[in-house]
Amino acid sequence: MSEQHDHDHDHDHDHDHAPITVDEKPGYFDLMETAVRELLIERKLFGADEIRRQIEVLDSRTPALGAKVVARAWTDADFKSRLLENGRTGCEELGITFYDDTQLIVLENTPAVHNLIVCTLCSCYPRPVLGLPPDWYKLKPYRARAVYEPRAVLEEFGTSIPDDVEIRVSDSTAIIRYLVLPMRPVGTEHLNEAQLADLVTRDAMIGVIQVGYDREAA
Amino acid sequence: MGTENLVRKLPNDIGGDEAGKIERVEHELLPWEKRCHALADVLDFHKIINTEEKRRGVESLGAEMIGKLSYYERWIVAFANILFQKGILTPGELAVKMSEVEGRFSDVPDTRQS
Amino acid sequence: MSATLKKLTAVVPADGEVPLFKEGDAVVIATRSPIGHYRMPTYLRGKSGNIEAVIPGRAVDNEEEGYGRNAGSKGYYYRVAIPMTEIWPDYIGSANDGLRIEIFENWLENPTDV
Repeated sequence: MSEQHDHDHDHDHDHDHAPITVDEKPGYFDLMETAVRELLIERKLFGADEIRRQIEVLDSRTPALGAKVVARAWTDADFKSRLLENGRTGCEELGITFYDDTQLIVLENTPAVHNLIVCTLCSCYPRPVLGLPPDWYKLKPYRARAVYEPRAVLEEFGTSIPDDVEIRVSDSTAIIRYLVLPMRPVGTEHLNEAQLADLVTRDAMIGVIQVGYDREAA
Repeated sequence: MGTENLVRKLPNDIGGDEAGKIERVEHELLPWEKRCHALADVLDFHKIINTEEKRRGVESLGAEMIGKLSYYERWIVAFANILFQKGILTPGELAVKMSEVEGRFSDVPDTRQS
Repeated sequence: MSATLKKLTAVVPADGEVPLFKEGDAVVIATRSPIGHYRMPTYLRGKSGNIEAVIPGRAVDNEEEGYGRNAGSKGYYYRVAIPMTEIWPDYIGSANDGLRIEIFENWLENPTDV
């Protein structure tokens, strides 16, 4: 990522340098983060290597992982049933580790049910599978409204769900995280797993949009 | 309701509140924000500050700070407060350390926006 | 001697070892208002729903965890289904629309006891 990051790979330093190349003074909260971290490392509560390692873990988590899970579920019925039974072990089958204590429930969208995930109290999100959430997911308008007027929220994302389709909003508050398994778009029978994964977006796995496929454009 | 709702309903408990249009904002984390996130995870792994304590720490900043500080600004301030409460750090130690860290950049022009 | 044998053949689970509710049970969410830290959003207090699933494995009550009690009281979490029209009398949408949330055992009551 950064120059500092590359530099850290050369040797396993047991102390953190300030970045070697800086062109501006760090902000107040940036300084506070460095100060808190360094004080705790000096007190041997954890090592600098643990922070570096966790940054690498965070960098390795992107919606591409979730897309891989979805595409596998679309193409392998046995995998899909294991995934719906236990989301965490299903993802682990594909090599996606869970670095926290959370469990995962995969919510399947069908012609009868459309799922949407939100965290009204904070910003719970399936980080091991999707990476970090977008800002809008953590801000008040989405958190406040998704549980009250989900259809209006979906419309703002350009998603229109017919009235005879049930909307299920999962408000994530404790040990469970959710991942929406979107419906496979029609006309994709000829696509392989990797091509299918390319169609799956982060927002579709949050449930604010559906997965689309435009054969002409593809 | 009088003032009791300031106590009974936490500032982050906003499900169902009236709110405006969803602006689809997102940003790539700044380096310090990513470090702050990694710090949060490591603090939780060691149960120095577990995830739930972090949430409680953010809520206890109160509505004004929750409204005005950015996401990771709230986290790092909450961590500092919790570490003080637990007797792991003192406010003075943190202030001294922050000055020391700032001193490393004494030859760098201050281009921060206030 | 015989008393010991009797105990061995009739093991009684301790409080909290067995889920209080099972799939399909009707439940009511408590109406209390804790201060300081809670994980039961106010918009759902007093609402009725059904247990959709018992979350496997007991976990620490996160309202205790929020104060650093990493080995606090354990209990079950439940995935509870609540119709949107139960939560919001003026709900706009389908009568089938619903909310799902995980709720710690001590927030749930049996409607016949309420």
